[in-house]
Amino acid sequence: MGVFDAVVGPVDNALTGLFGQWNAYSTAIVTTLVVVVSYYMMNMSDPDTHPGLLARQASPSRVRQEGESATYRSRYIPESMPLTTGLNVKDAGASKWSRGRDGDLRDIWKRAVTGGSQDDGPVAGKTGRILTVLGTQNIIEHSLDDITRQINLIGQHISQQGGSRVALYLPNSIELIATLFACSFHDLTPIILPFDQPDEHVIDMLRRSAADTVVTAPGSFPFDSVVQAYPALRQLIWVVDEGNKHLDWNEVPKGMGSSVNVSTWSDILCDSPADAKTAVPERSDKQPKPIVTFWAYKSGETEEMVEFTHGNIASGIAGQLSAIPSVDRFSPSDLFLPADPLANIHTLVLTLAALYSNASVAFNSVAGGSDDIVLATQGIAPTVLVAPPAMLLKAHEEMMDKIGALPRKVIHGFQSRSLSQYGVMPGASSNDSLRPAIGTTPGKLRLVFVAERAGAGTKPLSSSVLSGMRIFTGARIVYALSAAKVAGAVTQTHVHDYRVHQDGEYSHFGCPLVCTEFMLRDQGYHMTTDSKAEGEIIVRGPCVSGGEASVGEVGKIREDYTLGYAENSG
Amino acid sequence: MDYIEHKMVEKASGESLPVDNSFITPLNVMLLSFLAYTLYNFMSPPKPLVLPPEPAPIVFRTFTPRTLLPYNGTSGMPVYLAVRGRVFDVSAGRNFYGPGGPYANFAGRDASRGLASHSFDEEMLTKDLDGPLDRLEGLDEEQKEAMQGWEERFEGKYLEVGRLVSQEEMGNMTSQTQTGGGGEGEGGNKAAHVVAA
Repeated sequence: MGVFDAVVGPVDNALTGLFGQWNAYSTAIVTTLVVVVSYYMMNMSDPDTHPGLLARQASPSRVRQEGESATYRSRYIPESMPLTTGLNVKDAGASKWSRGRDGDLRDIWKRAVTGGSQDDGPVAGKTGRILTVLGTQNIIEHSLDDITRQINLIGQHISQQGGSRVALYLPNSIELIATLFACSFHDLTPIILPFDQPDEHVIDMLRRSAADTVVTAPGSFPFDSVVQAYPALRQLIWVVDEGNKHLDWNEVPKGMGSSVNVSTWSDILCDSPADAKTAVPERSDKQPKPIVTFWAYKSGETEEMVEFTHGNIASGIAGQLSAIPSVDRFSPSDLFLPADPLANIHTLVLTLAALYSNASVAFNSVAGGSDDIVLATQGIAPTVLVAPPAMLLKAHEEMMDKIGALPRKVIHGFQSRSLSQYGVMPGASSNDSLRPAIGTTPGKLRLVFVAERAGAGTKPLSSSVLSGMRIFTGARIVYALSAAKVAGAVTQTHVHDYRVHQDGEYSHFGCPLVCTEFMLRDQGYHMTTDSKAEGEIIVRGPCVSGGEASVGEVGKIREDYTLGYAENSG
Repeated sequence: MDYIEHKMVEKASGESLPVDNSFITPLNVMLLSFLAYTLYNFMSPPKPLVLPPEPAPIVFRTFTPRTLLPYNGTSGMPVYLAVRGRVFDVSAGRNFYGPGGPYANFAGRDASRGLASHSFDEEMLTKDLDGPLDRLEGLDEEQKEAMQGWEERFEGKYLEVGRLVSQEEMGNMTSQTQTGGGGEGEGGNKAAHVVAA
């Protein structure tokens, strides 16, 4: 047909002419195309979390007061709902749908000993292990019954001797945790002092907190000066280790006076038979006494004394537990290692959260003394780590030095892109051989908590350091902002937030937890207008000591509604 | 069919096109550009998601009857009304409280007496905008309960955006802050116990 020939003929001729040029090179190019497409199809993966969830994190209130910004909350707690006040602890035998109570440290230990209950995930009755790391070869496991026995005996001893305010000047150890729980069960006030401070600061803290009992380790406690300068001290318990067990610790040096009753931890335990008192004491309805902590500012400055009720702590723990998606939560298969002193309230809240979730917990007395991540994690293979920012900064610098030259830098660049642009953790690469040797088994670490301590002079981390550390540890890193008067964290980055941002020198601190809300109060030229919100960070919530407190730093709200430090302009 | 037969005859007659064995042929150029485009699409990072910013929060302010009056829904203004000294943003209920609605009399005014007495008449509103607020005298228990109920409904349904004081009280407040007497400043629904850092 004429039409057919006129239209299709030329088209057909053109196509034949074009594809008639097919030669070997064409085949090669098409093969490359097929290989490229199939490679990307196989390796494409969805980001760990939806980008929309990261693009807007905190939710502001719709009304704000003059001179302040809106109140920012976690998006999971609408304006009309109250913030999470506690752990929703239900007594045994209560209905699954009954309203639980807030809980305190006694409930935490009870649950650590008896194992998780059926209705919230972990296998019923499974408990975690408690370990002490004394070096690469010496890992001691403590049975939960044994620790309960220590709790009972120490608590009874202190209260029988008339003590009521117990100061704890210890590194991270079983004795610290046991005394803390002993005070909760026996109606004593625990006072946690930051370890390894100058003598005058120790005396000053004892005086301000009105401690009448001290539990401490020999060698670090300035016994002589304290007894002279602080006559109100009534009782002293030495925690003696294997090395100096043979010395007689009961004798008080001449001229010190006999006002101080000195004993040792092991003596108190030996007084009772080994299988007595291994039952968790029955819970009385009396509220346990609040916990006193000291927030250490820059070295040389006076520490701030803060009193936390058990409700504050329970609320902080609940906030931390719900901040992690249920897949990544603490479980009995986790090994939790606090490489930061437990005198930090953020680290303490996380450790209690791990105990409450029946995870295994390891204590290493090196914590706080060294910034070496390899040293802090030696001997065990932790899956969850709490680290001070200086430790991550140092590890990052060392790794970047090792990476140095070009081919490794390119690989590192690809891994960084995988994190920041595509939102997935990078896979294995040849750079892995340079990684720091964290723990005995590489690759076990899955979660790292770092907290910026407001006002304490720690250098905030930049988001490229955090991203680099995600690659080098193979773990997800949560960066939190912690403050003196807040149990837990003020705000915290999302577990799957791997973004690297270039605006501002320091990383953002994420969005509030379900137990905190914050607003920014105008301060000088940092103010709130229709287009920006800056000012002094004020936190409110059931985990804040006193209900409301200032963080002491100036912050701003970023465009993804996360909190960051405000830069001083000009 | 004719066409196809015609083509087949042509092909069978044996003439073949010269094969061009060079790298740069039009076909290769097209294929290469296709490959480059595919590579570019795969290698370029996904654009970060940016959501538009939420509307700026409303500043809680103190109104007098005169400054509250413009907020009656006309000329694009939001609709506010006051109950017992609390100003609510009822723009969501523009059908009722906005211009032309059944309760339009309440817009921009103090609606306490009207709500208590279940009446939307003009007499329920305070006539003198510069005078003191309606002290709600002469209301019996039932009416006070009704007003309480209305207030709770507003609290649950609408946003509280300010408080209403009389012209005289506003004058007192501003003169207090000017003399540095530590005026009341913000109103609000939270009592702030600020702990000094």
